[in-house]
Amino acid sequence: MEALSLRDDVSDKTALAGQNTLQLIAFSIGEQTYGVEITTVREIRAWNGATPLPNTREFVRGVINLRGTIVPIFDLRARFGDGQTSPTKNHVVVVMSVGDKWVGILVDAVSDILTVSKDDIHNVPEGNSIDTELLNGIVTHDSRMVGLIDLHAVVSGAKMDG
Amino acid sequence: MSDLDDFKATYFDECSELLTELEEQFSAIEEGERDADRLNAVFRAIHSIKGGAGAFGFSALVGFAHAYETLLDYVRDGRVDLTDEVVNLCIRANDIVADHVNAAQTGEALPANYGAAEKTRFDAIARGDAVETDDDGGAPMDEFDIEFTPVRVDLEVFADGEAPVDDAFEVPPMTTMEAGQWEIRFTPHQALYARANDPLLLFRELAALGRMSVRPVLRAIPPISDFEPFGVYASWEISIVSPTVTEAAIREVFEFVEGDCDISIVDASLGGVNPPPEVLVEPVWEAPDEIASLLQLSDDEVAPAFTPEPAAVAVGAQDHFEEAPGLSFAALAEELKTLAPPKAPPAPVESAPVAAAPKAALPSSGDGDEHGARTAGVQSIRVDLDKVDRVVNMVGELVITQSMLTQQMDETLRARYTELVRGLEVLAQTTRGLQDSVMAIRAQPVKSVFSRMPRLVRELATKTGKKIKLETIGEATEIDKTVIEQLSDPLTHMIRNSADHGIETPEKRLAGGKSETGTIRLSAEQAGGNILIIVEDDGAGINRERVLKLARDKGIVAPELTPTDEQIDQLIFAPGFSTAEAVSDISGRGVGMDVVLSNIKKIGGSVHVRSWTGKGTRMTLRLPLTLAVLDVMLVKVGGGPYVVPLSSIVETMQCSRASFERVPSGGKVLQVRGEYVQVIDLAQRFEIGTEVAAADRFVVLCETEGSHKVALVVDDIIGQQQVVIKSLEENFERVEGIAGGTILGDGNVALIVDVQGLKTTPLHQSAA
Repeated sequence: MEALSLRDDVSDKTALAGQNTLQLIAFSIGEQTYGVEITTVREIRAWNGATPLPNTREFVRGVINLRGTIVPIFDLRARFGDGQTSPTKNHVVVVMSVGDKWVGILVDAVSDILTVSKDDIHNVPEGNSIDTELLNGIVTHDSRMVGLIDLHAVVSGAKMDG
Repeated sequence: MSDLDDFKATYFDECSELLTELEEQFSAIEEGERDADRLNAVFRAIHSIKGGAGAFGFSALVGFAHAYETLLDYVRDGRVDLTDEVVNLCIRANDIVADHVNAAQTGEALPANYGAAEKTRFDAIARGDAVETDDDGGAPMDEFDIEFTPVRVDLEVFADGEAPVDDAFEVPPMTTMEAGQWEIRFTPHQALYARANDPLLLFRELAALGRMSVRPVLRAIPPISDFEPFGVYASWEISIVSPTVTEAAIREVFEFVEGDCDISIVDASLGGVNPPPEVLVEPVWEAPDEIASLLQLSDDEVAPAFTPEPAAVAVGAQDHFEEAPGLSFAALAEELKTLAPPKAPPAPVESAPVAAAPKAALPSSGDGDEHGARTAGVQSIRVDLDKVDRVVNMVGELVITQSMLTQQMDETLRARYTELVRGLEVLAQTTRGLQDSVMAIRAQPVKSVFSRMPRLVRELATKTGKKIKLETIGEATEIDKTVIEQLSDPLTHMIRNSADHGIETPEKRLAGGKSETGTIRLSAEQAGGNILIIVEDDGAGINRERVLKLARDKGIVAPELTPTDEQIDQLIFAPGFSTAEAVSDISGRGVGMDVVLSNIKKIGGSVHVRSWTGKGTRMTLRLPLTLAVLDVMLVKVGGGPYVVPLSSIVETMQCSRASFERVPSGGKVLQVRGEYVQVIDLAQRFEIGTEVAAADRFVVLCETEGSHKVALVVDDIIGQQQVVIKSLEENFERVEGIAGGTILGDGNVALIVDVQGLKTTPLHQSAA
């Protein structure tokens, strides 16, 4: 028992040491690049349609069958208030785990895997509440801005009001 | 550590089963079925709970269970009559045992003297009865009377013919003994070894009680010619000196070998009572030569029975015998190893012929009623529910694949590949059979939930000061385990509601010309693909005026709406609604009934209330028989597939043939055989555009709770099939009007229409 917890401690420490850097999956929506931590990503798949859900907000594109489980798809563009994406076969669904749930995010394309230092994460400038609500922070990579998506915020508020 | 936790978990599982059993037995006993089998079952259950509790050190539970068990033992022996008073006390005791078990499980502490009053009652009843039996006292008692007069001792044990009269040391178990020296004589039977008990372990436990010395009695060892390799020839005399030890403590050590040995326990400090006949400590083993020769023999003749290893120890122990008549404990331990017949003989000579018929050998190993009853348990196994679920899921997928394959067969294929068609038909049958069998594994009688309710009703009756009787019907009805698990909370709330709001006080009932005691009837029945659970009371019924007023006050119903009586009744399930004038600690906070609704909806069921003023209320839960597979009608709305549970569909028709009528609100009603039915256009309701001409669309007439109908308008009807229900909430959240999702043969997701939900939504929506 004791030996076991000791080992846990050790692994925690080594994990922490390596965690000063962050690996991101970067994807694009129009010209903009966004990223999510790579550890949350479960799967990337091409857009293949979704069954629309009634009585939900426009950014909920519907549900898909992921190996027997029903997974909701969120349209990130619509979530940012830029209108629904008109998806083609070239669009991509990034399946991620948020808490104990799996969700898919519809994006234009997956562009890169980035390794950034945690120290390089900037705060989201105050101003527009949508930005601060949906982004956790901003990093710069190759002089591009990459917004770190707050997944919890993105998937919340899916139901129609009233 | 985790091993122990595992055992504990198993123990608590068993406890909940045993407590259920207790509840059952007593409800039968209450009805007057007071036969011995029931009492034995009760006794066994309490004994098992106590035994496990002892192993895990739940001393409060052990203490209470022990006292309870003693009472039961008296009842079983007929020393205490099973009067109503005793039955009530027992039922109360069951609740206390349940509380103790619960406390042990959660780690909560109960008040130190919890159940003490009942414990005192047990003793009082036991004693009170003992006095009576004393009067008609049997012959054997007289002689004991003389011997025991110096100390006040309860003698009830001896009133019983069963008491081992031939054993001069027997002392009633109920007595509280004084400190001192205890003399124990322990004679194991062969059964003790056969059940893999080891006297050494018992002695170790005894040694923990106080200063102990053990003397083996080996006189019974026969000459080598008569020596049975598996015979039992040793008995022991043990004395323990400790100021604190009680007879009960000593008895507890022998608890699990009771019946497999003769034990007498005597308080030697009482003086003079027990000159144990021939306490000559004589390890009479006069023939070491014979042993030696036996050992030599063993290689050839007795070889299978004696493994060389114990034989070697035997020789070692031999020395101890010779040099030390009063054996030390350690030496005794050594000795025991050898004297005890090999517990699992590697290849017993005797059993050789038996081995040919292993089945015949089985019953002989479990003699005695209790053990015989237990061997029946081998017929069932405990399986992790996850494992069953995995099978259920896979069978579900198989069913879908099978129905997809069948759909692929068109007429040309059918004509060309008759073998394939036949194969598919067999496959369909087999899958159906497989599915039914798997479902049967998960199915459990609702009894497991129902049996918790009598206690609830008792408590509620006490708290509210009302007189309430609970009747249960159809306990054997089987439902999927998941449904059963989800049923407990809603049922509790519904029964609370009935007891608190439904049933009136005895005075009011009498004034209303009803019997003083209110009745809550809990019943379960299967109706088609559904299970109906009905909670019915003969109370005052729902006060609709007050419900409506309250609902308006709380903004649950918009002022301009005039709901029907039925709709008003349903309002009690609205969140935040409570009609109780005073919030009691039973119900009235308005969080109960909406929990019922949401829990039941979660498992794909529906709730319906009907109430008759002054006569009572009936709440009906309609639950799916199984959660996994559903027969559905596949329909199309706005180009997307939706499924409607087949169990709720009455009929389908083309819109062009249906006669719609308009109502002032702008909605439509459908006239079907003289009945007007609310029409819900799914495309409209789900806000999906449809390009299908109105006349080409279809009406799906559905029946919802309480035989009220609703007509759904859909674009097209595709066909029937079986689907596996998948939760939307697992990765998303509940969607209004949708009961869940399912995956079609082509891999796409279709949504399951929540017919009941659609029907009830408008009222809530306009209220919001």
